[in-house]
Amino acid sequence: MVGKGGEAAASAQHKEEHEEDGDMVGVVKLISAEGFEFVIDKKAAMVSNTLRNMLTSPGGFAETREGEVRFPEISTAILEKICQYFYWSLHYASGKETAEFPIEPEITLELMMAANYLDT
Amino acid sequence: MNPQRKRIPKIEPFKHRVEVDPKFFDKSWKKLDDAIREIYNHNASGLSFEELYRTAYNMVLHKHGGRLYDKLAENLKGHLREMGKLVEAAQGGLFLEELQRRWADHIKALQMIRDILMYMDRTFIPSSKKTPVFEHGLELWRDIVVRSPKIHGRLVDTLLELIHRERMGEMINRGLMRNTTKMLMELGSSVYQDDFERPFLEVSASFYSGESQQCIERCDCGEYLKNAEKRLAEESERVSLYMDAKTADKIANVVDKEMLSNHMQRLFLMENSGLVNMLINDKHEDLTRMYDLFKRVPDGHSTIRSLMASHVKETGKILVTDPERLRDPVDFVQRLLNEKDKYDEIVSVSFSNDKTFQNALNASFEHFINLNNRSPEFISLYVDDKLRKGVKGAANEEDIETVLDKVMMLFRYLQEKDVFEKYYKQHLAKRLLSGKTSSDEAERNMLVKLKTECGYQFTSKLESMFTDLKTSQDTMQSFYANLAGDSDGPTISVQILTTGSWPTQPCATCNLPPEILGVSEQFRAHYLGTHNGRRLTWQTNMGNADIKAAFGDRKHELNVSTYQMCVLMLFNSTDTLTYKEIEQNTAIPPVDLKRCLQSLACVKGKNVLRKEPMSKDISDSDAFHFNDKFSSKLVKVKIGTVVAQKESEPEKQETRHRVEEDRKPQIEAAIVRIMKSRRVLDHNSIVTEVTKQLQARFLPNPVVIKKRIESLIEREFLERDKVDRKLYRYLA
Repeated sequence: MVGKGGEAAASAQHKEEHEEDGDMVGVVKLISAEGFEFVIDKKAAMVSNTLRNMLTSPGGFAETREGEVRFPEISTAILEKICQYFYWSLHYASGKETAEFPIEPEITLELMMAANYLDT
Repeated sequence: MNPQRKRIPKIEPFKHRVEVDPKFFDKSWKKLDDAIREIYNHNASGLSFEELYRTAYNMVLHKHGGRLYDKLAENLKGHLREMGKLVEAAQGGLFLEELQRRWADHIKALQMIRDILMYMDRTFIPSSKKTPVFEHGLELWRDIVVRSPKIHGRLVDTLLELIHRERMGEMINRGLMRNTTKMLMELGSSVYQDDFERPFLEVSASFYSGESQQCIERCDCGEYLKNAEKRLAEESERVSLYMDAKTADKIANVVDKEMLSNHMQRLFLMENSGLVNMLINDKHEDLTRMYDLFKRVPDGHSTIRSLMASHVKETGKILVTDPERLRDPVDFVQRLLNEKDKYDEIVSVSFSNDKTFQNALNASFEHFINLNNRSPEFISLYVDDKLRKGVKGAANEEDIETVLDKVMMLFRYLQEKDVFEKYYKQHLAKRLLSGKTSSDEAERNMLVKLKTECGYQFTSKLESMFTDLKTSQDTMQSFYANLAGDSDGPTISVQILTTGSWPTQPCATCNLPPEILGVSEQFRAHYLGTHNGRRLTWQTNMGNADIKAAFGDRKHELNVSTYQMCVLMLFNSTDTLTYKEIEQNTAIPPVDLKRCLQSLACVKGKNVLRKEPMSKDISDSDAFHFNDKFSSKLVKVKIGTVVAQKESEPEKQETRHRVEEDRKPQIEAAIVRIMKSRRVLDHNSIVTEVTKQLQARFLPNPVVIKKRIESLIEREFLERDKVDRKLYRYLA
């Protein structure tokens, strides 16, 4: 039940980048509605403001403590796409990536809703 | 978005369920309500952020934003009221701590709530124009806790009480203070200003007004200022430690006003310790403090300045008008210089070389130095003394240089520079002719200084005096070269002085002894032989002579003036002479003769003549004997010549008269210069212009100017305008 595909490659690329501060270091586990787990860098997760708040909010919510977030409303396929987007966004922001982020038409709407939810 | 959303199969079931549930809002809110309670109870670790966020998200998404917001506000109010009660219940010193603790809790909880309700902040708040969650939480805290009637007054009182205790020297918990004021600042700058800063400033004002009142009763000025300085430093430290930086200036202003401005006059005028006392006693440190402190007060510096100026004027006036002090001109000038040094130091050390203070000082000196019209004479005498004694005293070139510089400073203050020139010329002449200048270089140096100060005109005659001496030397050399051979008789050294450059007085020539007469006639012949058409007159009142005399078996060399030489030569043929006989034989003017006899007969240790009867003064009936018992340890004896001294009253009158005479042509020249360029000018303008032109040398009297104008009209340089009698015209 481990995430696959783009995640591994992207994470390898990511290591080349320097890490900014303590909060950004480490990984976080995102779990889809179907129970698939995606392990991504915190830094990538922070692209989403919702996730950022979730992981940095004071007072120790369960997510902050355990380093994993469950999304009962997001399907595996969408979550995977989202994770890819996180990495793409990081690269795009640093100017390394210029190609457009590919989105298949059939998942567009779902992806948009998830993006709204995650404030990405 | 909603209708589209239904078509997405994956979330439709969830959506659908929610839509159907009529109690959706209440259920959701219950979840959040519980969560918020847990958060306030520090029990958030069991909560799932995602779940809460999703709950709030869905509520907002389903148009429950308004209700959620209201519910939340209500909920917060409830929590805050509870907290407020806890804070109210806290006793005494624990009050602030409790408040602080609750505040920290509230902030933390508020942050968590804000994060959970982020979606509401993002979408609902901007569209409905409500205050964001976090800020709203702060407002609620302000209204429900800080400004609750039981807390508000107590909070301010506690803060002020603590500050008061710290002012009285107690240690207080500054960290707590800082956190509390920080809380007020976070609630908005207006909260900080209204609820803390204003009362703080008021209390401070009354505190310092009381303290300054007490302090001024028991402290002297110096201590008071020290205290004020200390207080200012304390306040600024206090602000930096636990207040908003903007308060710094405000509290400083309060202290300035209460401690400094309100008591300024009293402090400065304090007897035995005020400004005047500090000036007199050179209390540089206190003065520096005063200067620095009153920089902050409007009018502070100008008051110090005017007080200093009037003090300097007053002491200066005493200095220059005290008849005791006027006896010794050198001492008199030295005192002036000391005074000047003293205040220069004060200005440079304590008043950070403030230009305005320097100017005030200069103006004061100028004022009082010119109160005494003998100042120019005395300053010249002082220079005379320094240049004469230069070698004798330990003074080296550099010292002389600095002394001269200082004298020039005083010179600058003089209004009657031409009077100084007159005296300086006299004194210089005496120095040069009697060969008493200590250093040629120093003399020339002084001339250069005068020249740079007053221009070429001022020193041209003084310079020609030096040239005269130089050419005289050459003339003497050529004279003796011609005379080579029979140099059995006395040798003479003649200095040929250009009339006009030197302050010569028309002097009745005395009868020179035949020995001298011969050689001087030879010289006259020689000189007139080479320089056709000139006239030589002997200024016997200025020369001096070295003569060898035998007293018993002791031989001495006497250095005497020309007059004294003439007298002594008479004793070559006889041992006793009466005053009358001396007067007849030498034809020296009686005043000079008496003076010279006095120095020959009445000075102890130098009495080469014996006088009968023995008395201090010379009278017409006295008789003089050659004193063969005269003895001295030295082979060379210098008989006191008449040194440059301050003038006696009639001499002074005469000099003044001569100065006035000299001014006339200068004023006339100035008038003509002005009229030549202006052609037509009224009386007052002429007076102003003339005064301006001549300022560098002296201050012309308007009455004198008027007389000169009249004289010029008489001589047809000017004429009065036929219509307007006040106007003058220049006649080419």
